[in-house]
Amino acid sequence: MVKKRCVAMLLAGGQGSRLGVLTGKIAKPAVPYGGKYRIIDFPLSNCINSGIDTVGILTQYKPLELNDYVGSGKPWDLDRQNGGVHILPPYQGQKGGDWYKGTANAIYQNLEFISRYDPQYVLILSGDHIYKMDYSKMISEHISNNAACTIAVLEVEPEEASRFGIMNTNPDGSIYEFEEKPKNPKSNLASMGIYVFSWDKLKKYLTEDENNVNSSNDFGKDIIPAMLNAKEKLMVYRFADYWKDVGTVDSLWEANLDLLNPKINLNLSDEAWRIYSRTNSLPPQYISKTSAVENSLVTDGCEVYGKLDYSILFENVTVEEGASVEYSLVMPGAVIKKGASVKYSIIAENVIVGEDAKIGEDPQATESDWGITVIGDGINIGKNAVIGAKNMITNDVLEGVKI
Amino acid sequence: MRASAVAGIIFANSYDELLEKLTSKRSMASVPFGGRYRLIDFSLSNLVNAGITNVGVITKENYRSLMDHIGSGIYWDLDRKSGGLRILPPYNIRGAKRYNGYIEAIKGAMDFINRCNCEYMIISESEVVANVNIAEAVNHHIETHADVTVVYHNGRFPENHPDTMLLSFADDGRVNSIEFPTKQINGNANYSLGIMVISRRLLVELIEDAYNSESLGINRDILAPKVSKLRIYGFCHKGFAEVIDSEKTYFEANRMLLDDNVRHDFFNKERPIFTKTRDDMPTRYGTKSNVENSLIADGCIIDGTVKNSILFRGVKVEKGAVIENSILMQGVSVAENAQLDYVISDKDASIGADMILKGTSKKTFLVKKNQTL
Repeated sequence: MVKKRCVAMLLAGGQGSRLGVLTGKIAKPAVPYGGKYRIIDFPLSNCINSGIDTVGILTQYKPLELNDYVGSGKPWDLDRQNGGVHILPPYQGQKGGDWYKGTANAIYQNLEFISRYDPQYVLILSGDHIYKMDYSKMISEHISNNAACTIAVLEVEPEEASRFGIMNTNPDGSIYEFEEKPKNPKSNLASMGIYVFSWDKLKKYLTEDENNVNSSNDFGKDIIPAMLNAKEKLMVYRFADYWKDVGTVDSLWEANLDLLNPKINLNLSDEAWRIYSRTNSLPPQYISKTSAVENSLVTDGCEVYGKLDYSILFENVTVEEGASVEYSLVMPGAVIKKGASVKYSIIAENVIVGEDAKIGEDPQATESDWGITVIGDGINIGKNAVIGAKNMITNDVLEGVKI
Repeated sequence: MRASAVAGIIFANSYDELLEKLTSKRSMASVPFGGRYRLIDFSLSNLVNAGITNVGVITKENYRSLMDHIGSGIYWDLDRKSGGLRILPPYNIRGAKRYNGYIEAIKGAMDFINRCNCEYMIISESEVVANVNIAEAVNHHIETHADVTVVYHNGRFPENHPDTMLLSFADDGRVNSIEFPTKQINGNANYSLGIMVISRRLLVELIEDAYNSESLGINRDILAPKVSKLRIYGFCHKGFAEVIDSEKTYFEANRMLLDDNVRHDFFNKERPIFTKTRDDMPTRYGTKSNVENSLIADGCIIDGTVKNSILFRGVKVEKGAVIENSILMQGVSVAENAQLDYVISDKDASIGADMILKGTSKKTFLVKKNQTL
């Protein structure tokens, strides 16, 4: 193997259980985003744009779709003779094998993969976030600080800090304490789940952690505290651009509609920092005479005969005449039949919304318990059915049924 | 039928002069069509959808944009260790001049043909827009024990095209007359679509003979004179088909894709049309956008009005601009309050604010590549 300066390891094995039915059949990094992307396009595109061409993807939960999507890595120029993208599922060795027990254990089980490239630095990423980031700047800071580990952080609103893993730092940016979801946060620097480790340190602490039977084998809970205890130099790297965790239905919906907000800087076709994706050869979109399309993103293979406002149509979606889609995401292959209305909803892949059905509600139209409505993968919603706010539909809904 | 038993040849520079203005810097094969395609995508997809993995593209001139488009052939799964896509640039066989007709062109590609190790060959021209079931055409060729099978269509005869064959058939389906009409034909006729099936052995034999007698064209100099000697059969392509023989038919053929039935037939799931993909964002429709009956590719930003038009990738339409009955190729930008009607704009042109460009259904207004108005 040719030596690599930096190898990236992308943790893509999580179930993403808070996305409910949207991750029923696929791993979270494979969840569609922004009309023609998947969440994993962001870390993969960031890697190649940052000059990192060796990426291990650790998979465990429902890997079929993700494996298919990543394939040889060609769409991200990660199909390489030396390096490139590698899918790393858990495996059996001579002494048996284990599922990945935690984020740290997943990397531990693949130390051999990293060793083949004999890198100086290892970048640990997750497949849960929408952001554009130049990792090479972070690595440069890591080097000039002579740190053992550098953790990317984002300033969050103080009242939100208790939802995140918080880094408490000295004035020079060195970390003295890490607190997971603190009740009374001392700082507002939230961890973005992006770490740069010097390879020797990573190897040392992962091996020690593995030998500790009481450890939960997690980077945040175990590795970082162990390194702090040992007085290693841990630094923060401040990031100030757009970053969004898409771990919940609401945040996934918001992160998508952020693409329609002119005040938010999230240009995915910026020549200088393009987000790549695996695209199919589909015909251009057709917008008919009976349509009305405003403030929306529409992609290849769609046919729009109805009304669209503040919505995103993924590939091959059909919106029939008289149907309307507002403040919603409609994922690949879904059909919204004549006269149906979809509001504040996420319609998953290949769903059929029957004629005159009503999905979702305006926030103003309901009382306390409003939320985004989600219709799961491949579900049929019968004619005239009515699905209220905040429902998550996992079974077909018959004609005229109200939920 | 083993797919490797069939190989394909595509003529990239077929009748470039029929679309003179659009082919001044490109071959017929790389003329943009239908929002995100180049004409060669249709012949390549037809071959690939029949399982053919060995394709030679014969080029003559202006083929840089074609090379950019097809590259290694990966978008058609033609980047292969064995077979795959071969670009066949002019090969000097008779002094220093490039070939003048298809016979010489095929003669120049004889190395490719001899190495194909296939039983049958599909010869395909680039000026045809049709999603043809080539696998069926090959089966038909075998079942009828034909020497040559010509793919044909029943419709309006492309009168501007110099070598399209008007076909008549005997009761058993064998072609019994080939004509090249010089007068206008009323109503529908059976005419050739520039695609034929032939055994490799016979192709080599016919080309060597014709080349030695200094003949130029396959249709006029081989098929028509030998109509009673060769067993020539027709394979009828019933779906959408247009032979692009003028700027007017180019414009009309594009706009026919706005018809739901034509579009659904042409872009069917069984035989998808493959093309080079780019990493554009989905198209963004602004608050003031008003779009009707239009085919739009990804990467556009639309804040104005677009009606009965075809927009390629990355077209920008600013607010107040009105585009009707037009074809705007990749990267065209239309500034505020400009008005376009019956315009074909080539790639990367910029149309300034308040400009008014008007053509008619008979004579479209053409904006050149990179032109600023």
